This record gives sequence, C-alpha cells and structure tokens, in this order.
Amino acid sequence: MGYEFIALAMFAGMMALLLTGARVFSGIGFVAVIAAVALWGDRGGYDIAFTTSIKLMNWYPILTLPMFVWMGYVMSETRLADDLYKMFHVWFGPIPGGLAIGTILLMVLISAMNGLSVAGLAIGATIALPELLKRGYDKRMVTGIIQGGSSLGILVPPSIVLVLYSMIARQPVGQVWLAGVFPGLLMAGFFILYVVIRCGINPALGPALSPEERASVSWGERLRLLRAGILPVVIFGAMMGPFVLGYVSLVESSVIGAGIATLLALVKGRLTRQVWETCVTNTLGITCMFMWILLAAMAFGAVFDGLGAVRAIENLFLEDLGLGPWGVLILMQVSFLVMGMFLDDTAMLVIVAPLYIPLVAKLDLGMPPQDALIWYGVMYTITCQVAYITPPFGYNLFLMRAMAPEHVSLADIYRSITPIVAIMILTLAVIMLFPDIALWLPHQVYGQ
Amino acid sequence: MPQFLVAYVRIIEAVNIRIGRIAMYLLFVLAAILLWSVVSKAFFTPALWTQEMAQFTMVAYFVLGGAYSLILGANVRMDLLYGRWSEKKRALVDCISIFALIIFLGVVLWGGIESTIYAFEVGERSRTVWRPYMAPIKIVICSGVFLMILQSFAFLIRDIATLRGVRI
Amino acid sequence: APIKWRLQTYAGAALGEHVTKPAIEKFNKIAAGQMEIELYFADQLVPTSELFRAMQNGTIDAVQSDDDSMQSPTEVTVFGGYFPFASRYSLDVPVLFNQYGLKQIWEEEYAKVGVKHISAGAWDPCHFATKDPVRSLKDLEGKRVFTFPTAGRFLAQFGVVPVQLPWEDIQVALQTGELDGIAWSGITEDYTVGWADVTKYFLTNNISGAWIGHFFANQDRWNEVPDHLKALMEVCFEQSHYYRQWWYWGGEADLRVNGPKLELTSIPDDEWATVEGKARDFWDEIAAESETKAKVVEIFKKYNDVMAKAGRPYRYS
Ligand code: NA
Ligand code: NA
Repeated sequence: MGYEFIALAMFAGMMALLLTGARVFSGIGFVAVIAAVALWGDRGGYDIAFTTSIKLMNWYPILTLPMFVWMGYVMSETRLADDLYKMFHVWFGPIPGGLAIGTILLMVLISAMNGLSVAGLAIGATIALPELLKRGYDKRMVTGIIQGGSSLGILVPPSIVLVLYSMIARQPVGQVWLAGVFPGLLMAGFFILYVVIRCGINPALGPALSPEERASVSWGERLRLLRAGILPVVIFGAMMGPFVLGYVSLVESSVIGAGIATLLALVKGRLTRQVWETCVTNTLGITCMFMWILLAAMAFGAVFDGLGAVRAIENLFLEDLGLGPWGVLILMQVSFLVMGMFLDDTAMLVIVAPLYIPLVAKLDLGMPPQDALIWYGVMYTITCQVAYITPPFGYNLFLMRAMAPEHVSLADIYRSITPIVAIMILTLAVIMLFPDIALWLPHQVYGQ
Repeated sequence: MPQFLVAYVRIIEAVNIRIGRIAMYLLFVLAAILLWSVVSKAFFTPALWTQEMAQFTMVAYFVLGGAYSLILGANVRMDLLYGRWSEKKRALVDCISIFALIIFLGVVLWGGIESTIYAFEVGERSRTVWRPYMAPIKIVICSGVFLMILQSFAFLIRDIATLRGVRI
Repeated sequence: APIKWRLQTYAGAALGEHVTKPAIEKFNKIAAGQMEIELYFADQLVPTSELFRAMQNGTIDAVQSDDDSMQSPTEVTVFGGYFPFASRYSLDVPVLFNQYGLKQIWEEEYAKVGVKHISAGAWDPCHFATKDPVRSLKDLEGKRVFTFPTAGRFLAQFGVVPVQLPWEDIQVALQTGELDGIAWSGITEDYTVGWADVTKYFLTNNISGAWIGHFFANQDRWNEVPDHLKALMEVCFEQSHYYRQWWYWGGEADLRVNGPKLELTSIPDDEWATVEGKARDFWDEIAAESETKAKVVEIFKKYNDVMAKAGRPYRYS
C-alpha cells in the first residue's frame, strides 16, 4: 500500500470518527491502534500505544500542565482579578470603547499569569462581559474581544502550548516563551486599534462612562486601585524571573507560580470549600483531557511515522510541489489553519507539529535553524489561537456558550469572531514578514 | 433493563468516582515532591528520586483519574453535529462510537500487560541511579486503563437504557 | 522493496546523521530494492527504555544501541556504553570483541533472549562538559549530570547526581537548569549536537576511552533475510564502525585544539588516580555479581595487562 494512501486513510478515518461526536482522544487513538495492528502485520505494533504512555511519562516539562491549570482555576474562581478589572474600568471608562480597551489590557495581564486560555475566558466572560453588556456595549464586538483576548494566554508567557511546542521541536522553553512576548503585545495592540477605530466611527458601540459616574470615584480611590496592578507583576516576576535567570527549572517555576496563586487566594480569604472543590475537580478534568489527547495523538504520530507516511508528506512538500522555502511555509500555515478549524488544538499540535517542524528546520529561510524553529513556534501558536476560536471545533466557542449571559446567542458568538480571526491572521503575516519581532527579545536576554 | 446490568453501572461508577477522587489529590503530592526538589537543591544535595517520583505521580494522576474524568464529561467531543442531535440519537451513535474508546484502551492494556509481565520476568528497573522497579508504575497504568474500559461499558449500558426509554 | 526493516538508533537526529545514516543509506543503495532499512532516531517510534522489548516483539526489526541505554535483560548489560576505564582507545573495542572473546559472549547472551547480536563497535571517549569549571574532584560534588546508567552508578560515589532524561531533551535541560552538565560523550559529539552551545567547560580527564555499542536484530526477522543480504548488512554495519573510528579520533583532537566554544580544564593526574583506583574496586564489585560478569571483567583485566606491558604506543604509563 502506498504511503500517501495510508496517510490519507488515517486522517480521513480520524475525521469521520470525530464527526460522530466520539471523544476526541478515542477517535485519534482508535485509528492509531487499528493502523498499527493491521498494517504492522505479524510484526508487533500493538505495543506502540502503551509505549507512548512511557514516552509521555518521560516528557519532564509536561509536569507543568497540572500546575498551570490549577493556577488558572484558582485565579478565576477566587476572583483574584476583580480589583484588576475595577482598575481598568475606572481608568479607561471615560473614553469611547474604553471599557473594551481595559478588558483587552486585563486579558494581557491575565495571560502573563497563566499558561492556558481557559482562565482568561472565564474571567472575561464572568467579570467583564456582564458589565460591558450592562453599559450598552455592542455584544458582538465585546464577545469577540474577550475570546481573542483570552487566547493570548497561550502566546504570552507562561504558555503550555509553547511548552508542548518546545518539547516537540526540542527548543529551549525559555527562548520560545520570550519569543511570544512582543507578538502577543502586537496582537493586543491590533485588538485595541480595532476597538478604537470602530468606536471612533460609531461611538454607540462602546459608550463612555457618564460624567456623574466618573465623579463618583475619587482620585484617592483611583490611585488606590492602581495597586491592583502589583499582583500580576508579582506573579509574573516570581515565576519568570528565577526561571529566566536559571535559578530554578521550568517545572519548579510552575510549582512556584501555583503556590503563590494559592497563597494569595488564602490571604484574601477567598479559598472557600466550594471554590476548592471546583478547582480540584476541574484541574483533574482538564489535565486528564490534555494527557489523554496527548497520549492518543503521540501514538498516532508514532504509528504514522512507523508506517512511512511522514516521509511521504516530507517528499510532497519538499520535492513534488516544487515550491520555494517561503511557498512551503505559507502552504504549511494555510493547511494548518484549515486543519485547525476541524481539529482540536492539542491534537493538532501533537499530530501536525512533528510533521512540520523537521520541514521548517530544513527550509532555507535566511536564519539559523534554531532561530527558525523558535520563530515558527510563535507562528504556530497564533495558528493554534485561530484554531481555538474557529468553528466548527473550538474550545472557546463551547466555553463561551456555557459562560456568556442568556441573550448572547450562539449565532452572536460565531459572528463575533470574524474580525478577531482577521486580526490574528494579520498578526501572523506581520510576524512572518518581520521575524525579529519574535526573535529580538530572546536574543537580548540569552545573548546570541 | 436487567437488574445485574443496572447493578454493574452503579457499582462501577461508585468505584471509579471513589478512586478518581483519591487520585485527584495526587496533584498536591506532585507539588510537594517538586517543592522538595527545589528545597533539597537549594539547601542540601539534590535528591536522586524526585524527578522520577514526580513523573510516576503525574502518570498515576491522569491514569487513575481517567475514569472519573470520563464521568465528569471532561473529554471534549467535536459537537458540530453531535450538539444538534436529540438525546436518543446521541445515545444511538454513542453506542457504536464507544467501541472506538474500548478498542483503543484495550490495545493500550494489551501492550501494558505484556510489558508488565516482562517487567516482572526480568526484574526491570529504571535506568537511573535510584533504580526503582518498573513493574509498580506499569501495574498502575494497566489498572487505570482497565477501570476506564469498565467505565466505557457502563456508558454503553446507560446509552442502551436511554434508547429503551429507561433511566439508570 | 520486498523486505522492509525498521531500525531505531539510540542516537538523536543530529548525531545519527554521522554515526548511523551513511551506513544505512549505503546498504539501501547496494541492496538495490531487494531490501530497505528505514532509519528512526532516538525515541522516535518507541522510547529508548522500551527499545529492547519492542525489538523482541518485532515492532522494531533492528536496533543500534549500547546494552546499558536500552537496558537489555542480559548479563552483559553493564559493560555496554561506558564501563569505567575498560578501554583507553577506540581500537580497544574491536580487539576485545574479535581477539579476546567478547563477541562470543555477547552472541550467546543475546541468543538467550531471542536477539541476534550483529556486531560491536566503538564510539567516542566519555568526558564531562559542564556549565561551571571542574578542576578538582570536589568540583564534581552536587552536579546534576546526564550520563549512562552504569557510569552514573560509578560516579555517584564522587557526589555526582546522575539524571536520566530523553537524549533529545538534554540541550534544553541544560538551558532550563534541569542539568549542570553531561558525562556522555567526547567533544565531537558536544559540538555536533549543540551541547557545546549550552556548556562552557570540557574536562580532559575521561572515565572511558571508548563507548561500546552494537547493532542488533530480532532473531526471526534476521533468519528471514537471504544470506547475501545478511552479509551485506554485516559489511555496512562494519563500515559504520569504521566511519566512527576516524570521525571521532580526528574530531576529538581537532576540536580540543581549534574548537572555539569550550574551555579545557583538567583534574591533576594524582587526584584522578583515585578515580581509576575506585574503578578497579567497581570492577570487582561487578565481577562478584555473576559468573558471566566475572568472565568479562577477567578479559578486561587480561587485555589491559597486555597493553600495559606492550608499552608505547599502546600505553604510556
Ligand atoms: Na500565558
Ligand atoms: Na477550530
């Protein structure tokens, strides 16, 4: 049987199974084990799925996953971001669209404190969204903003997606994380620009706070609220500082972050029994979901590789299509975006990244392979962000539906993301044209 | 529904919830091990066992917690079509697609049991200086996967009950 | 091709490019479609710790590794990789196997577990590359070092903390602070795989002159291959051993002298002599474990004795 056929059959089988609504990991894992047992013939193959669990166990940085998940839940469930939100509310409220801008900045700070998007979305949907709607903000604009903003969680360090990418690409997490900083800020900047322009054209989309309301908050109170901004600086600094300086390892820094978030919640007296229960069970649920998808997808990848399909894809891109390096890169991103619509982002990461990463290292892009891989990690993550919010398969959509107020319909949520996706793709294009936006900071810090 | 099937579902789910809720607290065991690693590195000689023990704990966490996470509904599905279907239609499709889960887990278990037997036969130890025996963690993986398979059958019985208009 | 094999090496892609790939490509070229070996690098299909089992099952047809890294369930496992001070030069390895009887012992031991031992070859010497300089034995204390299992067991008595990670993760682990150094290879490998970029110092004292590694195959798969292809495989794998002889020998000297990335440090000879002394104790400790192990240790002793008496250029002290 030809490699191309095997590759196609495995992907088609997986898609068909996922369409039935089967649990994602079972669809991927099933195709993997059936292919291994059927196509390896009499030569073993059945043990690949189990050995993958050992491979996953050896992936040391994956230990950061439950820590980041826990940290995110503690932050959102104990409402550690409430004061932060008030700060932005008071300071940005007076200008048209100001609350939306404040929300984006809030999202940036939350992104700097946790490694996933879930916490940002939960905080945005439960704290910011009801307030924005009450103030008469356009519901489509603000739901979009919150979804786009929360997806920054995986681009701005710390980021679990970038940890996974680093493990697959075998690149130093510290550099990959730092590479995400400016692209994340750039994207946030574009979001703000979008709000400013839309509200500039039509101020009704984002009414400013009334003068009376502004007067009700004293200057002393305003200055006092600024103190809330210390929290993210403390958490980000305590996690990233010792890690980037090399005092603690990545995994240890994630424990420190989780510990600090827990301590703060305790100090503020918000870690109630019920909050505790939510945090503990959800951390288990999300971690299990991730780990089982990773296990299935890694098994899929190994079987796919062992059957020779990886070579077929390499040949397709590097030889058969006759494209230049940039052509290959663009085609990869486009195919990635299309797949991202249908695939879950974790599965996409683990199945597709091992196919594409070796290609990136081989392409002559006018920079050293290590730089290329670090830079690609950022582009890759932006693509994941798009995958994360695009229908028909996007976590954000599911979560948003569950968390948003009643009168925000599914149709509103679907429509809200169009401009956001456009902005993300714009950011992607800019980073592609100017790799230094990503590479400058890691070069500065790690000196190359 | 036959009484023994109903009893099966009740017992398996009770067991899995109990085990899952214990496994859930391995998160803090993991954190404690990693914190000890930081402390021992800073003040004494770095501990030889922390890295592997943390890895074992993580595996136990998501494997033993696996069945409970299935019950919690934490595992995402692509709900493009699924989300629009009626409860009965979902149950019908689930009755078939659950076998993807059972077969996948079954093959993991197959490889796991062989590997565990091998670990016993040769007294397999890890390659580190701490040299822990590998059989225990392999048994943990096999047990967790086995519990997940039992849970999958419980789902199957529930779905069949739904199709017959019965609630368990 | 009618016969297709999967061979997984314990080496990562960057190193495999030199130490494995050329020989496999030659084999495929000469076999001219009668047989094809597909090469997979470290942990690509199965993790190295499951490599032996996967070969026994037939999930993988052939393996290139030392016995120690893949934890073969045999009596000779501790001698693969770097058995402390067993050899001084890379030529010692083929001599030990072909003239001193190790080949026969290995073949018998692997036949017992259903695996064909094809051939043994030498790789590079084992040196430390570290982030902080090592100038005395005291500097080794508390260092978290990536090394081979048996070497780790030996080095632990000097305060070294041996760490096991997947081979491909080492460079990153050095950067993220999980590791302080490596005692895994010579300087050629440090440069080739990027470890020289993340460490600063290279210790010229070594705990072994040459790594012992092998090609193995699943016995049933081996039996199925026609004789002329078996012979071709043996020749190509010998060629791979030869390639490493000159590639490492030349590379080690050149990079010590001309390499820009690592500063050389040394532990004084009299201090290092205590390490060599401890190695002899370690040999006796291992020999006491079983008859086969005693036999191998006896051969090492006999060989080193001959070399010492032969004098220059075999041994200088
Ligand atoms: Na983040
Ligand atoms: Na999507």
